[in-house]
Amino acid sequence: MNEYCVEMTNIVKSFGEVQAVKNGHFNLKKGEIHSLIGENGAGKSTMMKMLYGMYDFDDGTVKVNGEQLTKIVPKIAIEKGIGMVHQEFMLVNELTVLENIILGFEPRKGMRIDFEKARADIQEYIDEYNMDIQMNKKINQISVGEAQRVEIIKILCRGAEIIILDEPTAVLTPQEAQQLFRILDKLRENGKSIVFISHKLDEVMQISDRISVMRQGNYIGTVNKSETSEAELAKMMIGREVFLNIERKAATPGEVVLRVENLWTSGEKENSKIRGINLEVRAGEIVGVAGIDGNGQSELIEAITGLRKVEKGKVYLDGQDITNFQPKKVREAGLTHIPEDRNTRGLNRALSLKENIVAVQVDDKPFAKGMLVNNKEITDYTTKLAEKFDIRPRDPEMITQSLSGGNAQKIVVAREVSIGGKLLIASQPTRGVDIGAIESIRTILQEVKEEGRGVLLVSAELEELLSLSDRIVVMYEGKISGRMDASEANEENLGLLMMGGADTAKGGAA
Amino acid sequence: MKDRKVYVVKWVLTVLFALVIGAVLILMIHENPIDAYVALVRGAFGGNLKLGTTLSNFTPLLLTSAAFAIAAKGGAFNVGVEGEVFLGGLAAAYVGIYWTWCPKPLLIVLCFAAAILVSAAWAFIAAFLKVKWGVNEVCVTILMNSVAQYIASYCVSGPMSAGKANSQSPDTLVTLPKIMKPSTLNTGIFIAIVVFILVWFMLQKTTLGYKIRSTGTNPAHAEYAGMKPGRITIIAMMISGALGGIAGCIQVLGAYGYYLDNFATGLGSNGMLIALIARSNFAALPFVSFFVAVLKSGAMGMQQSTGVPKSIVDTLTAVFICVACMEMLFIFKKKKKSGKSEVKQGGES
Amino acid sequence: MKLRNIFNISLIYSTFHIATPIIYAALCAAITQQANILNVGTEGIMLMGCFVAVAVSYFTGSWILGTLAAMIGGMLIALIMAVGIIRYNADNCAIGMGVNLLATALTKYLLETIFGVSGNFTDPKIISIPKVNIPFIENIPIINDIFNNWYVTEWLVLVLIAVVWFMFYKTVWGLRLRAVGQFEQAAQTAGINVSSMKYQALLIGGLLGGLAGAHLALGYTTLFREGMTSNRGFMGVAAMYFGNANPIFSSIGCLVFGLASAIGNRVQAYGVPSQIVLLIPYVITIVVLVVSLVSKQAAERKKKSSLTNVN
Repeated sequence: MNEYCVEMTNIVKSFGEVQAVKNGHFNLKKGEIHSLIGENGAGKSTMMKMLYGMYDFDDGTVKVNGEQLTKIVPKIAIEKGIGMVHQEFMLVNELTVLENIILGFEPRKGMRIDFEKARADIQEYIDEYNMDIQMNKKINQISVGEAQRVEIIKILCRGAEIIILDEPTAVLTPQEAQQLFRILDKLRENGKSIVFISHKLDEVMQISDRISVMRQGNYIGTVNKSETSEAELAKMMIGREVFLNIERKAATPGEVVLRVENLWTSGEKENSKIRGINLEVRAGEIVGVAGIDGNGQSELIEAITGLRKVEKGKVYLDGQDITNFQPKKVREAGLTHIPEDRNTRGLNRALSLKENIVAVQVDDKPFAKGMLVNNKEITDYTTKLAEKFDIRPRDPEMITQSLSGGNAQKIVVAREVSIGGKLLIASQPTRGVDIGAIESIRTILQEVKEEGRGVLLVSAELEELLSLSDRIVVMYEGKISGRMDASEANEENLGLLMMGGADTAKGGAA
Repeated sequence: MKDRKVYVVKWVLTVLFALVIGAVLILMIHENPIDAYVALVRGAFGGNLKLGTTLSNFTPLLLTSAAFAIAAKGGAFNVGVEGEVFLGGLAAAYVGIYWTWCPKPLLIVLCFAAAILVSAAWAFIAAFLKVKWGVNEVCVTILMNSVAQYIASYCVSGPMSAGKANSQSPDTLVTLPKIMKPSTLNTGIFIAIVVFILVWFMLQKTTLGYKIRSTGTNPAHAEYAGMKPGRITIIAMMISGALGGIAGCIQVLGAYGYYLDNFATGLGSNGMLIALIARSNFAALPFVSFFVAVLKSGAMGMQQSTGVPKSIVDTLTAVFICVACMEMLFIFKKKKKSGKSEVKQGGES
Repeated sequence: MKLRNIFNISLIYSTFHIATPIIYAALCAAITQQANILNVGTEGIMLMGCFVAVAVSYFTGSWILGTLAAMIGGMLIALIMAVGIIRYNADNCAIGMGVNLLATALTKYLLETIFGVSGNFTDPKIISIPKVNIPFIENIPIINDIFNNWYVTEWLVLVLIAVVWFMFYKTVWGLRLRAVGQFEQAAQTAGINVSSMKYQALLIGGLLGGLAGAHLALGYTTLFREGMTSNRGFMGVAAMYFGNANPIFSSIGCLVFGLASAIGNRVQAYGVPSQIVLLIPYVITIVVLVVSLVSKQAAERKKKSSLTNVN
C-alpha cells in the first residue's frame, strides 16, 4: 500500500499571461499534518485549489490514493475524500448553518429535504469534536470562528479524509487559533490527513509534521519539522534573509489632527456596527487599529472618510468638523486614504496608470485646464511618481488591469502620499503584496510620520502593527476594547483584547 | 494594435455568421440568398434617392447610438432613448408650430432647446430612480417608452392634431433644408455629426468625460475618489436623453416637417443595437450606424426586387447583436472551464 | 361617472384575468432571478410563445399542442440567452435585449412568410384554450361571477404559483438553485454544477415564458399581432422585483397592475382618451417598482443601522 494519499508532480498553471505555478510538487502522507508555506503569490493556494478541482492544471500529474486523476472538479474531489476550507468561507449568508452544511449532499425524502436526518447526522460530528455550533442560525448571524467550525463540519459530513485548510488562522485571534489546533490534532488522531497553508512560521512550527515551501510558483523543498527551524524556513520562503522589522523611530507627537467623538455608524453585519467610538490621532504619530476583520474597522474608516453616513457623534480633522462631509470635501480638509481594497475602491482597473494617479485630483490645477484635462501635466506627474515609487512598468498609458498586487498597491500609495495633507489613513496597506513591496510601503509610512503627518493604520497583521505603531487601539464588535502604548503591546495582550477579553493593559483615554 | 486587429476579425466573423444565418432563412423560402444580398446593396446605394434615404436613416441612428453609448459609459443601460426621441420630437413640434411670435432662425434654435430640455428631463427620471433607490433602469426606461409614446400619440391625435387621416401635427413653421431630393436627407445630418464629435471630445478630453468613464467602470472607486458617482450617472443619462431629443428634433424639422405619430419606432432600439455591437466604442459607432442604415434602406429594395421580406433584415440584425455580445465566442485560445473564479482571483494568492 | 359601475363584483375577475399573463411572465423571471440572472429576455420569450402557439394551434387544430409547442419555442429563445450568458459570457442586459429584438423580428418574418400577412393574424382555425364551466356554482350569484368560466390556463397559473414556491423553498433543487444565485462559488465547492443549474433555471423559465405567450395568444385573445406582448414581459420582471423573486409576492404585484388596468378600461367608457388609459398600467408598474425598492432599501438601512437593535 502506498504511504502517500496525495502526490502532485510537475504541476504547471497559468492565468492568462501570469504563470502562477511553474513547477509544483506536493505529497501528503496518510495521517500527517503537512504545512505548505510561502509568501503571498507563491502559488500555494493555487496548488490546493487545483487539487480540489477549482482550477484545472495545465500540466503535470495528480494522484490521489495512488489513482491518477486527469480531470478534477469539486464533485470528483469530494468523492475522493478531499475537503477544503477556503480562505474566503464558502458559506451562503442567507441560508442557515444547517442548509449550508448539507448543500450538495442533502438527505432526501422524495423531492423534499430530510432535515431531521440531516440534523442528527451533523450532531454526531459536533459531539465528537466538541464544537460549539448553532444549526438554525443564518450565516450572517454567527461569528467568524464559528463559521470556520461550520466549514470543518461541512467537509467532515461529506466524508473528507484529506482536509485542506487555506490560511485558516488569518481570521482568528491567537487564542482561537490554539482552539483550532486542538481540533486539528484530534482530526489527525482520527486518521485524517491535513494540509495546512500558512505564512506564519510560529504556527507552522507548532502544528506540522512536515513542511513544504514554495516561492514564486516554484517548489523549493520539503523538510521534517523536527529537523528545521524558523530561520531556515524563512530563508527558503524568501530566498534571502529579510528583516521586515523596521526600527521604529520615536514619535514626537504634535497637535491633534483627527478626533473622533462618540461615533455611531451603520455596519454590514451586526458585529461591525460602530457604537460609540472615541479616538485621537496626533501629528507625527502612527496609531494602529488592531482587530479581527469584520469588527467594524472598515465601517470606522468609511465613516471618517465620508463614505458611510455617521449616525451619531462627530469627526474633527485639524479642529474642523468634517462629520458627514462628501468624500471630496473630506479630502479638501486634508485627509488622504489608502483603502483596504485596492481593486474596488483604490483603483479603477479599467483605466490607465496616469488616470489612476490623478483620480482624486482630476478637477485640480494643473491637471485640469478649465473643463479640459491637461494631459501633458498628468503624464509628466505620472512619470515622476512612477520613478519615485518604483511602479513597474512605467508606461503612463498602460491599463492597470494586468498589474501585480504589489505594483497596483504602489499606485495607490504613491497617489495618496504625494498629495500631502494632514492625516493619512492606511487600511491594510500591505495585504496581498509581495515582500519587496511590503518593505517599501512600511518605510513610506514611517517617512510620512516623520514629516509630521498623522497616520491611522488599520491592519490585521499584528506584526505590522507592532513594528510601526506608536499607540495601538483594539476593536471588538464595533467598540474599542482596549488601548495601549506600542511599547506595552505584544501578541498575547492584543490577542486577548481582539476577542473582547478583559482589558489587561492600561485602559482609559487615548 | 493587436487588440484592434482582434476586434476587426471578430467583427468580420460576426457579420459572416449573421449573413450565413440569413442565407439559411432565405433558402427556406426558396429564394436565392446571393440575389437577395445584391438587391440589398443596390437598394441602399443605387441612385440619389436610395443613397439619400440611407444617409437620412443614418442621421438619427448616429445620435441614438451615441445616446445609448454615453449612458453605458456612465454606468446606465438606457433603453429609453426611443421615448426620448418621441418626446424631443414632440417638444420641437410644439415650439415650431405654436411659437409664431418668434423670428425663424431663433425658432430653430428654440426647437432644439425645447427638445433637449424635455428629453433630458425625461431621462433624468429613470436616472434619479436608479441612483437614489437602485431601481433597475432597464425596466423603468422600457416602460417609460410606452408612456412617452402614448403621451405623444394622444397629443397628435387630440390637442395638436392636424385633423388629417393620419395622426400627425400641423406643419412646423421652420424646417431644416433638404439636400439630395427627393430623399428625406436634410442638413440635420451635419448637426448630428457635429454633436457626435462634441460628445466624443467631451468623453475623451474633459474632466467630466473622465469622471463618466471612471464612474461607469468602477463606481466604488469613483465615490472614494470624491467624484459623486450618482450625480455623474445622472448627468450621463441626461446627456443621453438630450442626444435622443436632438435626434427627434432633426426628424421632425428635417425629415418630415411635422410630427408624425410613431415616427421614432425602432430608432431607439436600433441605436441600442448599434451601440451594443460597437461595445459603446465611439470610434466604431459611425461605421456600425452606417452599416445598419444600409441594411434598413437596402431591405426595402430587396423586398421590392426579390420575394424576400424586409423583416429578414431585422432578424439578421438581431442575430448579429446576439452573436456580437457573446464575448467569448470568437476567442480561439485554449480555454478551460469558462466563467470560473479565474478572472476574480487570477494571479494573486 | 358612477363608482358603482367601476367597482363591482366583476372587477375581481377582470383584475385576475388581466394579471394572469403577467403572472406567468413574473414566474419566468423569478426562476432565473433565483439563479441571479435578471431575465431581460422575458418579453422575447413570451412573444415567441405567442407566435408558436397560434401557428401550431392553426395547423393542428389543437390548443394543447399549440401550448406545448409554445413552451418549447420559449425554451429555445431562453436557450440562446443561456448559451450567451453561461457559455460565452454575454452581458445579460445586452443578450436579453438581443433576444427581444430577435423575437420581434423573427415572428414578423415568420408571420409574413408562413401566413402571408403582416400586422395581425386572426383565423377561425386557431383553436383557443377552453374555459372551465362549473355547472353547480352557476346559481350561486357572487361565487359564479368570480370563479366560473375561467380559462384552463388561469386555473393552471394558480397551481404553478404553488408548485414554483414549493420547488424554491422545499426541495433539494430549490436549495441548490438559491445557493447558486446567492454565492456561486460556495455552490461550486459543494460539488454543485453551477452552469448546469443556471441552464436549468433559464430553460424552465423559458418553458413558463412560452406558456405565458400561449395563454396570451390562445386564451386572453385568439390571434397573433406583431409585438402583442406590449411590454408585459417587463411588467413581469417588475413584479418579480416587487416580490423579491418569491412567486407568491410577485403574483400579488401582478394583481396590482391588473387592478389598475381593469379600472382604466372601465374609466374609458366615460370619455377618457384611450392613450391615457393605456399608459396607466405602465405608470403604475413604475410606481410599484419604485415603492418596492424604496421600502426594501429602508428595511436594509434599518437592519444595518447602529441605532436600532441596541441590546
